[in-house]
Amino acid sequence: MPQIFRPYADTVLRVALLAILVVPVAAIGAAYAVMWSPYVTGQNVVIEQPVPFSHQHHVGALGLDCRYCHTAVERSPVASVPPTHTCMTCHSQLYTNAQMLAPVRKSLASGIPIRWNRVHRLPDYVYFDHSVHIANGVGCTTCHGQIDDMPLTRQTAPLTMSWCLSCHRDPAPHLRPQSQIFSTTWRPPKDAEKAGRALMSAYHIDTTHLTDCTVCHR
Amino acid sequence: MSSRDDRAKEALRWIAPAGRSIDAVNAIVAAPLLERQRWSWRTWWIAFAVSLALTGAMAISIAWLLIEGIGIFGNNTTVVWGFPIANYVWWIGIGNAGTLISAMLLLLRQHWRASINRFAEAMTLFAAAIAGIFPILHLGRPLYFYWLAPYPNTMALWPQWRSALIWDFWAISSYILFSLLFWYIGLVPDLATLRDRAKGTMARTLFGIFALGWRGSARHWHTLHIYHMTMACLGVPLVVSLHSVVGLDFAASLMPGWAETIFPPYFVVGAMYSGFTMVIVLAAAVRWGLRMQALITIEHFEVMAKMLLAASTIMTLSYCTEWFTAWYGGEGAERRLVVYAFTGDYRVLYWLMLVFNCVIAQAFWFPAARRSIAAVVTIGILINVGMWLERMTIVLNTLSHGYAVSMWRTYAPTLWDFLLLFGSLGFFALLFLIFCRALPVVSMHETRRLLSAEAQP
Amino acid sequence: MTARPPIAPADAGRFDIDRRRALTLLAGGMALALSSCGPPREEIVPYVSMPEGMTPGLPLTFATAVAPFGYAQGVLATSHEGRPTRLDGNPRHPSSLGAIDIFAQAEIMSLYSPDRAQAVRHGDDIAAWSAFEGALQAQLEQEKLRRGAGLRIVTGRITSPTLIRQLQALADVFPAARWLRFEPIDDDAPRAGAVAAFGEPLVTLPHLDRAKVVLTLDADPLGPGPQQLRNAAAFAKVRQSRLTPDDFLRLYAVESMWRLTGANADERLALAPQLMRNVALRVAQALGASVDAGDLPDRARRFADAVAKDLAGNKGRAIVLAGDTQPPEVHALCHWINAQLAAPVDHLPPVDANDKSHAQSLQELADDLGAGRVETLIIIDSNPAYAAPGALKLRELIGKAPFSAHLGLTDNETAQRCQWRLPMSHALEAWSDLRAVDGTASIVQPLIRPLYDTRSAHHVIGLLHGDLGADPYALVRETWQARATGDFESQWRRWLHDGVIADSAAAPVTPPQPHLPNVAPAQGTPPLTLVLAPDPSLWDGRFADNAWLQECPRPLTHEVWGNSLKIAPQDAAIHGLRDGDVVKLAHDGVTVAAPVRVQDGQPAGVVAATLGLGRNAAGAIGNGVGFDVYPLRGPAAGWHIEGVTIEATDQRHAPPTTQHHFRLDAEDKDILRTLAIDDLPRGTASSQDRGESLPSLLPRQNEDGYQWAMVIDTSVCIGCNACIIACQSENNVSVVGPEEVEAGRIMHWLRVDTYFLHEKDEPPGFQPVPCMHCEHAPCEPVCPVAASVHDGEGLNAQVYNRCVGTRFCQSNCPYKVRRFNWFAYSHDQAYANLGADTVTAQYNPDVTVRGRGVMEKCTYCVQRISRARREAEKTDTPIPDGGVVTACQSACPTRAISFGDLNRKDSSVNALRHEPHHYAMLGHLGTRPRTTYLARLNNPNPAAQDDGA
Repeated sequence: MPQIFRPYADTVLRVALLAILVVPVAAIGAAYAVMWSPYVTGQNVVIEQPVPFSHQHHVGALGLDCRYCHTAVERSPVASVPPTHTCMTCHSQLYTNAQMLAPVRKSLASGIPIRWNRVHRLPDYVYFDHSVHIANGVGCTTCHGQIDDMPLTRQTAPLTMSWCLSCHRDPAPHLRPQSQIFSTTWRPPKDAEKAGRALMSAYHIDTTHLTDCTVCHR
Repeated sequence: MSSRDDRAKEALRWIAPAGRSIDAVNAIVAAPLLERQRWSWRTWWIAFAVSLALTGAMAISIAWLLIEGIGIFGNNTTVVWGFPIANYVWWIGIGNAGTLISAMLLLLRQHWRASINRFAEAMTLFAAAIAGIFPILHLGRPLYFYWLAPYPNTMALWPQWRSALIWDFWAISSYILFSLLFWYIGLVPDLATLRDRAKGTMARTLFGIFALGWRGSARHWHTLHIYHMTMACLGVPLVVSLHSVVGLDFAASLMPGWAETIFPPYFVVGAMYSGFTMVIVLAAAVRWGLRMQALITIEHFEVMAKMLLAASTIMTLSYCTEWFTAWYGGEGAERRLVVYAFTGDYRVLYWLMLVFNCVIAQAFWFPAARRSIAAVVTIGILINVGMWLERMTIVLNTLSHGYAVSMWRTYAPTLWDFLLLFGSLGFFALLFLIFCRALPVVSMHETRRLLSAEAQP
Repeated sequence: MTARPPIAPADAGRFDIDRRRALTLLAGGMALALSSCGPPREEIVPYVSMPEGMTPGLPLTFATAVAPFGYAQGVLATSHEGRPTRLDGNPRHPSSLGAIDIFAQAEIMSLYSPDRAQAVRHGDDIAAWSAFEGALQAQLEQEKLRRGAGLRIVTGRITSPTLIRQLQALADVFPAARWLRFEPIDDDAPRAGAVAAFGEPLVTLPHLDRAKVVLTLDADPLGPGPQQLRNAAAFAKVRQSRLTPDDFLRLYAVESMWRLTGANADERLALAPQLMRNVALRVAQALGASVDAGDLPDRARRFADAVAKDLAGNKGRAIVLAGDTQPPEVHALCHWINAQLAAPVDHLPPVDANDKSHAQSLQELADDLGAGRVETLIIIDSNPAYAAPGALKLRELIGKAPFSAHLGLTDNETAQRCQWRLPMSHALEAWSDLRAVDGTASIVQPLIRPLYDTRSAHHVIGLLHGDLGADPYALVRETWQARATGDFESQWRRWLHDGVIADSAAAPVTPPQPHLPNVAPAQGTPPLTLVLAPDPSLWDGRFADNAWLQECPRPLTHEVWGNSLKIAPQDAAIHGLRDGDVVKLAHDGVTVAAPVRVQDGQPAGVVAATLGLGRNAAGAIGNGVGFDVYPLRGPAAGWHIEGVTIEATDQRHAPPTTQHHFRLDAEDKDILRTLAIDDLPRGTASSQDRGESLPSLLPRQNEDGYQWAMVIDTSVCIGCNACIIACQSENNVSVVGPEEVEAGRIMHWLRVDTYFLHEKDEPPGFQPVPCMHCEHAPCEPVCPVAASVHDGEGLNAQVYNRCVGTRFCQSNCPYKVRRFNWFAYSHDQAYANLGADTVTAQYNPDVTVRGRGVMEKCTYCVQRISRARREAEKTDTPIPDGGVVTACQSACPTRAISFGDLNRKDSSVNALRHEPHHYAMLGHLGTRPRTTYLARLNNPNPAAQDDGA
C-alpha cells in the first residue's frame, strides 16, 4: 500500500509534543508580563485633562507647597483636588485671559466644577489614607514620583498590590523625617537602612499588623 | 510455562469461541469503525439525539447560571451546598473505576480486564472531566476559579494551601492528566492496527497520526509494557488519594456528620462501588450495541457482580461505623444528626440510599442473579442512584441540622439543579457514544495478548 | 423554579433575552473587549468653592431630631460630602440617651426611598407649586367670607412648637376653622384615664430604674413607641448582675398577646383584655380598697395574689402600668394603685396641644364630610383614608370635600383621594422643631437640600396664612427668639450643637390624690376577641414603604414582609388550624383574610394582629404586604374587638420568617444559658467558660497590640432589633425581599435569635448573634483563596474582593453567621426598586458594597476600628477604652453590647469576661470565640407559677 506519511512527519510530531510542554508555560509568562505592563497598571500614561495643569511649573519652578492646593492631605484619606477658588487666588491676577485657563474662569463664573480625570486610580475596595502615611514619614514623591518635573501629571508607581506590600512589609527604606515629607528634592541618605530603622521607632511603626488584609480592605 | 497454561485456560474462560482467534478479535473490535454497514445504527442515532438534547439543556443551564448567578440553585444561607457538590463527588466516584480496573487489575494480573478496560478508561476520562466542571460552576464567581492555582500575580498572593479544596484542585487535575496519558498510550497499538486495516486514506491518515508511527516492533511492545506497568504503579495510589481528598473536603471540618476519620477510605470504596456499576451498565450497552458478545462474556458480569457484593458489604460496614461512632462518641450534635438522618426532613432519601447501597446488592449471593445481565444492570443502575443519594444526604443533613439551632433550614432544589444534573448525564452519554464510533472500545492488543497463549500448542 | 428576585416593572424585560437583546449584548461585549485597555476612566469633581468647615473625605456630624411617632427622638446625623448616611442616638436627648430605635434609624432610608412623592400632583397630572398656591388662595378667599367654617386641617400628632404656633394663629384668620388631630396609635384611653383620676390629661412617665416590682396590664413600656429607649435604659439599670437579688427588678406582665414587655418579664400571664381589670381590682383589694374583684381562672388568681403581695411589700418601689387595650377606668384604677404604692412615676402636662381625643376628631371629620360641611380639607402628613377605623368610611368620604390637599412624604391612600398631592420635605431636608414626650424641645436642622421640589408643613400652613414665602428657618427662629434669654445667636448655636434646648422639659406636676374609681369587675368568659397592636416593625403603617423595616424580623415570630393572626393552640385545635392556614376574620360584616400563626402564650379565646400592613398605596416596597385590620375597627378605634368570628378557608400562605426553630433541647443549653438571679454565683469566673482551657493543635494568634472582643449581656437584651438596623445602615447590608427570605437567604449580618427555654408559653430569651470572630476560626483553614483570614488584632476578616464564593466557610461555621450574595442584591438584581440611584446615596462610603457571588459577614465594624487606629497612629496615642464603638453597640438602648480591647486590663470587656455568668457559645468546640455572652438572668417568683404555692 502507498505511504501515507513523509519522513518529515516525525519532526512535525516531535515539535508538536514539545509545544504541548512549552506553550502553557510561555502563555502564563506572557500573561504575567502583561499584568505588569503600563497597559494594565497605567504607569507613565499621561491622561488628557480639561486644563493642562503643570506640576513642573507650579511645584518645580514656583515652588508651591503641595498643601497649598491639596489642603486635606494631612487630615483626610483623600489629598483633595483644589476648588476652583484656589486656582483663582492667583489666576484672578495672573494670565487672566490665557486661553488654557478658560475652563477655570468658566467654572468660577458658572459655579460648575471642573471635571478632572483621575490619574492615580485605586480599586473601590482599596481604602487608602493619605493622612496616616504623611503622619508616619511617607513623602509625596515616594509614591507620586518626581512630580516637580511633570509638565502633565502621570502615575509613576505601578500601584499594584505587591508594590504596596513591598513597602508595608519593610517601610524603613522609604521613610523620611517629618520635615522632608513634602520635599521634592529629598534623597535617601547613605545609611538609608540605619536611618530608616531609627525613623521606624520614632514613628512607632509596627509592621506586624501592616500586612493585615483589613488595613486596606473592608 | 505454567503461567502460560493458566492464561490459556483464562482465555478459554473469558473469550467466547467466536472470538478465539487474533483475526476474529481484530475484526470484532474494528467492525464498528471500519465496517459500519454491517448493521443498522438506528438505536445509536436515537441515543445520540437524546443525549445531544440533554447536552443542550446542560449548555442552557450553564449559560443561565453565568447570566443570573448561582442564586438560581436551591441553596440557602444555611444549606450553602447542594446538587453541584453532590454531582461532583458522584462523577469523581464514577471516574475512579476505570483506573482501578485498568491499573489495579493489571497489577493483580487479572487478565480478564482486557476486554473491559478500554471503555472503562474512557468512561473515567469523561466522568472526571465532567466532575471537574461542577466545582467551578458552583462558585459564586466562576470566572475567578484560577485563583485556586498558584500562578504568578501582581497581588503577591498564593492559594490557601490548608484548604481541602486546593488539594482537590491538584488531585483532579493530576488525575485527569494521568487518565488521559494511560488511556491514549494504551490506544496507540490499536490505532496502528486500525491504520493498517482501514481502507479510506482519510481514516488511515487520522489513525496514522495518532498511532504515532507505531510499528509493533519488539522494542515498541517492550516499552509499552514497561510504561503500562509503571503508570499502573503510579495510578493506584493516585486514584486512592483522589477520592480520599474528596472525602477530606468534608472530613477536614468540625461539623457533625462530616468530621469523621472514616471518610477517606469510605469515599474511595464508595467511588469504586459506583464506578463499577457504571462500568457494568456500559459493558452491557457496548456488548449489545457493538456486537461484542464474544469478548464481553457473562463471566465478566459475574465477576464484577461479585466485586459489587464486596463493595456493598464494605459500604454497609462504613455506615454502621458512622452510627456507632456517633453514639459512642457521645457528642450530642452527632447523635442528634444520626436521628435526624433517619427521621428528619430527608429521611426518604436516606432510607432509599440505604436500600440501594446496602440491601439490593446482596442479591449477588445467588449465581442466578450474577449471571443475569438484566439483573446485574438493573441493580447497577439502582446502586448508582443510591450512591448519588448518599452524597446528597451527606451534604444536606449536616448543613441543615448543624449546631446553630436558629439557623436550621431545609433545602429544595430548583429546576436548574435538575437540568444541570441530567444535562451532565446526557453530555457523558454523548461523549461515550462518539467514542464508540471513533475508537476501538475494546483493547485489541491486550485481548490478543490474552489469546496469544492459546494460539500456541 | 428559580428564586430570582422580582424586578421592578421598569426593567421587567431584563431577563427575556430575545434576538435584539442578544445582539446588543454581543456588541456590548465586543465594545468592552476593545475598550478594555486598562481600567476605566474616573473623574474627580472638586468644589468650586469649598463649604465652610468641610474637609473632603471626612464625615461631619450634626445634632437634629426626627419624629417617628410625632414625638422628638434626638439623633446625631452623619453626613459625607453633604450626603446624610446614617443616624445615631443623641446622648443629650432624654428620649434617646445615646440609643436609637429602628424607626428613627430607618428615617435615613425613608429620605432616599424611591417611593417618595417627588412632585406636586393635581389629580394624576404633575403640577407646579404655583398652580396649587393659586388654587388655594382662590379657595381661601371664599373661606375668609365664611370665617373658615368650611376649613378643616387634619394633622398627625404635632409636637412642633412652631407648627402649633402657626396652627393656633390660624384661628385669628379663620375663627370657624377646625384643626383635627389623628394618630392611628392613639393615647385616648390613658388620657381619659388621667382625666378621670386627676382631672387633667397628665402623661405618666414611669421610672423603672427606681422600681423593684413592676406589673403591666397589656402595657408595653419596653415595646416600640416614643418611650421605649428611655424605659429600656432604666430597665437595664435594675437588671444588672452586680445587683443583689433584693434590688433586681421583678417584672410581671399580664398580656392579651406577646409584647416585648411580656417577652422580658419574669412572670407572664396570658389573659383576655376584659379580665385584666379583675387582676387590677385584686391588687387594689390587697391595698385596702373594698371592691368586688370578680373571679379569675386559678392560674390567674394565683398570679394576681402573688403580684399583689409582691407589690404591697415594696411600697415606693412598685409600679402598675395599664396599656392601650384597657378602658379609662382601669387606667384610673392603676393611678389610684400607684398613688397607694407611692410609685416612682412622674406626671407631666401633655406636649400635644390638641386636647380633643383622636376618636372624637375623626368622628367629627367623618360627620362634617358626610354632611358636606367641609369645603377645604388640608391633610398634613396623616393617612386617615388608610388608618381610620373602617366604620367611619373615611376612605369614601374624603373625596366629598370640594377642595382637598394632602402633604406627605409619599402619595399614600389619602393623597390619592385628594385633588392635590403635595410632596413633603423629609425631616433631614427642612428646618423645624420638635418636643419629646417629656417636653424637651430640639431644633430640627436640615442636612441636605430637598432632593425633590418639596415643602415642609411650616411652609404649607404658611400658605394658609396667605404667606407664599413662608420660610421654616425664619419661623423656627421666630418661635425661639421669643423664648430666648440673653444673646439669642449664641444660644441658637448652642441648641443646634447640643440637639436639645436646655431645660425646655416640662416640670413634673404633683397631681391631686386620685380617688378610687368605681370599676365593675368582669363577669364570665368573654367571646372570641381580637386584640390589636402597632406593628413592631411598621408601627401604624407609615413605614410600609421602608424596605429596612419591612425586612426587620418581628420579635418572637421573626416574620418579615407580612403579618399573621396569632392564635392560641387551644383555639387552633378547635378550628383545626395550622401555621399558615388562611382564615376569614370577620366582625360586623367586615371580613379580612389572614394567615394564622399558632402561638403558645396567646390566651385562649383571644386572637391578635398588628396594624400597619396590607397597604395598597405604599409604592413598590409596601404594596400588598400582609393584611389590614383597620377596617375591622369600630368608630371608637378600640384596641380590642369583641365577638369576632374566624372561619377556616382552604388557602395557605404564611409570611416568610428568618428563624424556623425556637426550641432549645437539653444538649443545646450552652447556646443560650439562663440563670435565676438567686442562683448566680458571686465572685469571678474561671476561664473555663471561655473554652480557653481546651487544648488545641492550632497556633495561638498573635496576641500583642489591640485584641478586639465583644461581650453581649443577654439578660438586658429586650429584642428591640435596633442593632439589626444599625448594622444594616452602617454596613450597606442589602435588602433581599420576601422571595429570597422565603428561600432562606436573609442578609442581616447580625441576627437576634429567640429561644424558648422552659415551657413554651414562658418568656423566651433573646440572643444577638454577630460573627463570633473565633480565634480558631473554622472558616479560615477551609477557604482555598485566603479570603477568610485572621488579622493581627483578632478580627476574622472577610476579604470580599478575594472571595470566589466556594461557601466552604459558611458550611464549616458552627454559628452560621456568614451571608452570601446569591444574586447581585445591591446592584442590578436588587429587590423591587431598591436599585434606584437615590438608594445608593445612603451607602456608607467606608464599607465596600458587595457584589454578586461573594460571602460577607459581620466585621466588628472594622471601618470604625480602622478609623480609630489611623487617628491613633497619627497622634501616637493609643486607642482609649470605648474608643471604638460598633454600630450595634451604639444603637442598643440597654447597652447590652460591649466592645473593646482584651489586652487592656481595665477594659470593660475584660471585666465582663470575668463575670461569673460569662460563657462562650458552643465553647466546647474549641473555636475560642471573641464574641462571648453573659447568661440571661431572671428573677422568677415561684408563687406566681402553675405549680406555685
